[in-house]
Amino acid sequence: MTLLKLFAAGFGRSLRATLTFRVNLLFDIGLSVIGLVASLATVFIVYARTDSLAGWTEAETYVLIGTFQVLSSLKSTFIDPNLAWFPDNAIRRGMLDTFLLQPAPTLFLASLARSTPLSLVQLVLGLGVITLGIVDHGQPPEPAAVLAWIITLAGALAVTWAMGVLLACLAFWAPRLQLDVFYASAWQLGGYPTDIYRRPLRLVLTYLFPLTLIATVPTSTLLDGPRVLVLVSTVAGATVSCLLAVGCWRLGLRRYTGATS
Amino acid sequence: MSALSLGSHRPGRLLSLIALRIRREVLEWSGTWWFLLTLVVQAALGPLIGMFVWSAVYPADSYVATYYVTLLLVTVMTESFEQHTFSEKIYDGTISHDLLRPQPVVVDVIGANLAIRIWLTAMGIPLALLAGWAFGVSLSWASVLVAVPLVVLGGVLRFCWVFLLSLTAFWTERVHAIAGFGWTLTSLLGGTIAPLAFLPGPLRDVGQLLPFYPMLGLPADVAAGRVHGLAPVLTGIAMQGVWIAVFAVCAVLLWRAGIRRYTVVGA
Repeated sequence: MTLLKLFAAGFGRSLRATLTFRVNLLFDIGLSVIGLVASLATVFIVYARTDSLAGWTEAETYVLIGTFQVLSSLKSTFIDPNLAWFPDNAIRRGMLDTFLLQPAPTLFLASLARSTPLSLVQLVLGLGVITLGIVDHGQPPEPAAVLAWIITLAGALAVTWAMGVLLACLAFWAPRLQLDVFYASAWQLGGYPTDIYRRPLRLVLTYLFPLTLIATVPTSTLLDGPRVLVLVSTVAGATVSCLLAVGCWRLGLRRYTGATS
Repeated sequence: MSALSLGSHRPGRLLSLIALRIRREVLEWSGTWWFLLTLVVQAALGPLIGMFVWSAVYPADSYVATYYVTLLLVTVMTESFEQHTFSEKIYDGTISHDLLRPQPVVVDVIGANLAIRIWLTAMGIPLALLAGWAFGVSLSWASVLVAVPLVVLGGVLRFCWVFLLSLTAFWTERVHAIAGFGWTLTSLLGGTIAPLAFLPGPLRDVGQLLPFYPMLGLPADVAAGRVHGLAPVLTGIAMQGVWIAVFAVCAVLLWRAGIRRYTVVGA
């Protein structure tokens, strides 16, 4: 409960700071719209030449893109502002020392305390694209499918956070290892159906670094209805990922010796 | 105001200054090889995704893989990061140091650009070879040689475009958003999201006139052997030349207007 209150307070402060700079707000809205138009243009261009991409119809791909936009928005809002340049800011320049002295869990302060509410613009646009895809699909999802979609989306977000933390944790052992640019780039792979990737890349992106499942599993759940095995696997995968991230963080903290005096 | 102008300096001296800067930057970047590798992955990912998508659509068409492997190389060889290497200097005021030196400011920007490209090319070639091997790509030496001047001019054009966008840092704090917009346009109309030949008719016609296809898609198409005969190659070179001239003039005008706005506090 205390963490939720801290999270809400941090978000409120970020929101007030964001609304102070209205021109920036306009820029970010413009950029989100342009990014989304580019994604939709890709789908339009591809489906102008085929009816199916790795078994996905045009309407299904719109839902996939919308779901990916929703996840990207949540990642940009709540995860990226904290973990971006973590090795440089937190480890090498010693910002972690400040977190360690504060009366709140260090992992929370380092990975979730700050946010960029402007990025939520993308979420609204993503939900619009999902609606467009569902209308085009012609079969509105059952309430159970929507609930299962929310659960799988929450699981995907937890895995996203855990992967970000795990990559950041590597900095405890190798402080010059700056992998967030790599994570941001690799994230783009998640916006396409898993089956377009060839083996062994597909296996890596499914089991080792499950980026392609992050958007495809919630999308399939929304379109095809909930399946117990998928839901159980998602919750189990998310729990294991989070536990692994917390464990690695604790191990890493034991190695940390401080960068400031 | 003349700090950007290259005309008043001897070409030999300018080349020496640029070469010195390249040497210094190459050495500086050598300590961050892991970060450079992530930049290569970042640059290569667009062409790789395009290759996977279009290979799924046209599994039997060898052009798709050949085009995207060459595009991967062209993208890596022409990457530009002036929104980081130049605009950040405007934001933190360190451009003042460059303004006091007896050389055009753009010399350091060009030197940093070429040094990063040298590293990215060295690291990108093995990745392109791996992708080419995985997809069974074969290139003809003649096509690759014909593509060399187009890649060079494409690199100049891309630098001019990104530098032009980076100059907006004199007016706004959101240069990264503007650069992101430029990147989206380049991906959409430059041949990364889809080869220009795969775009719907009107979009393809527009794409042929804009500067983005000559930056990336045209050199890749020539290297892939898709462009036949000398005439389309010369037309492409002429198109690159015209756009370079347009961007260079715009950059000089923006620089002159921007430097008048620039103020800095401190000794």
